[in-house]
Amino acid sequence: MRRRAGVGAVHKQKLEQEKYKDKGTVIQENQFEQMTKQMEVFRLNLEEFATKYKNEIKKNSQFRRQFQEMCSSIGVDPLASGKGFWSVLGIGDFYYELAVQIVEVCMATTHKNGGIIGLDELRDRLIKARGRNKQHQEITIDDLLCAARKLKIFGNGFCVIPVGEGQYMVQSVPGELSMDHTAVLKLVSTSGSAFITLPSLMEQLNWETTRATNVLNSMVTEGLCWIDKDHKKDVSYWFPSMFTECIKSS
Amino acid sequence: MGEVQWPWQYSFPPFFTIQPNLETRKKQLDAWRSLVLDYCRLHKIFIIDVREGEHLPLFNNTAISRKLSPQAINTVLEVLLSTGNAGMVDKSSRSRWYVYWHTVDEWATIVYKWAQDNAMVNTVCTFYELTNSSGDLNGLDEGILVKALKVLEKRQLAEILTLDSGSGVKFFS
Repeated sequence: MRRRAGVGAVHKQKLEQEKYKDKGTVIQENQFEQMTKQMEVFRLNLEEFATKYKNEIKKNSQFRRQFQEMCSSIGVDPLASGKGFWSVLGIGDFYYELAVQIVEVCMATTHKNGGIIGLDELRDRLIKARGRNKQHQEITIDDLLCAARKLKIFGNGFCVIPVGEGQYMVQSVPGELSMDHTAVLKLVSTSGSAFITLPSLMEQLNWETTRATNVLNSMVTEGLCWIDKDHKKDVSYWFPSMFTECIKSS
Repeated sequence: MGEVQWPWQYSFPPFFTIQPNLETRKKQLDAWRSLVLDYCRLHKIFIIDVREGEHLPLFNNTAISRKLSPQAINTVLEVLLSTGNAGMVDKSSRSRWYVYWHTVDEWATIVYKWAQDNAMVNTVCTFYELTNSSGDLNGLDEGILVKALKVLEKRQLAEILTLDSGSGVKFFS
């Protein structure tokens, strides 16, 4: 005959469950402690490593990238922390310096490109400005991206815009670019030319006249592009920031 | 005579359309201003006729088949006017312009310096002598020369004279 569940059985069950729970918490705590210890050790090692190879990190671009990757995989950002251990190390200084130089290049070219610049052009100009020393020359696109992203803290005056195919542009004028603006930049940048016309924009992005016209007009207003009225063809919108002669001009 | 160093804008098609955005237009007209001055200095051009503008490579880049319309040329010249680098030849028609790659004041100084260097102070010399001398004054447009001499008259350093053989000037010390 099957025993019917009584109050005792219920109590017993409850007790068991509580015991399981307690044990579980203990195990969890143990694991957590261990993990924390491991991370602490890892962090210590990493810091030791960073101190030891500080100069190497500054000089060698490949090394720098790998170090960055290593840091970000454990959630340490040697750039983000302005206080404490990392700032004393001066790892971030390399990027701060780079960030300042990026701002300088952007300011110096705004009169030509209206405040957007391709990352490749930025790199060329920056390297030219940094002097001949080999360690000043080995600046990778990764370094620039890393440094440029830090500039976000100054508000929307600075941002990095991905324009497809591993290409980036840096915007250095106040005023956020909308998705539509970015789409246009992307389209022009991948087209290999420096201009776009209204019909071609509408066709390629499947936009209505109003939407396309608004975007183009606002980009003219922002000074990002120039218009070309050639009576034989459609009005075309030209971006100095993507025009080879402008990029190459000193 | 060297070649003009064309700025990057010269091959940028929209450079030949006056830009609607004020700030962009300012940059564009600044670039035009220096280009016009460089070009005219190099080719010793003293007068630009707006109607003939497209015959100058300056305003007509055949490589990209873009040219500056006469109206746009006027806009550019008005910028030069505002900086003292251009003036209308004839106030009634706005198509012929002097281009002063030296401002009139600068020309006056250059003329007077020529007179000093060539021991012409306190002497009468003809316009022909001035504009056929070697140096900066060679080929100088007579209209501009007269304007420069009038500046010197104001500074009481010269007096324009009418001679039998044409016009002349007497420089004072």
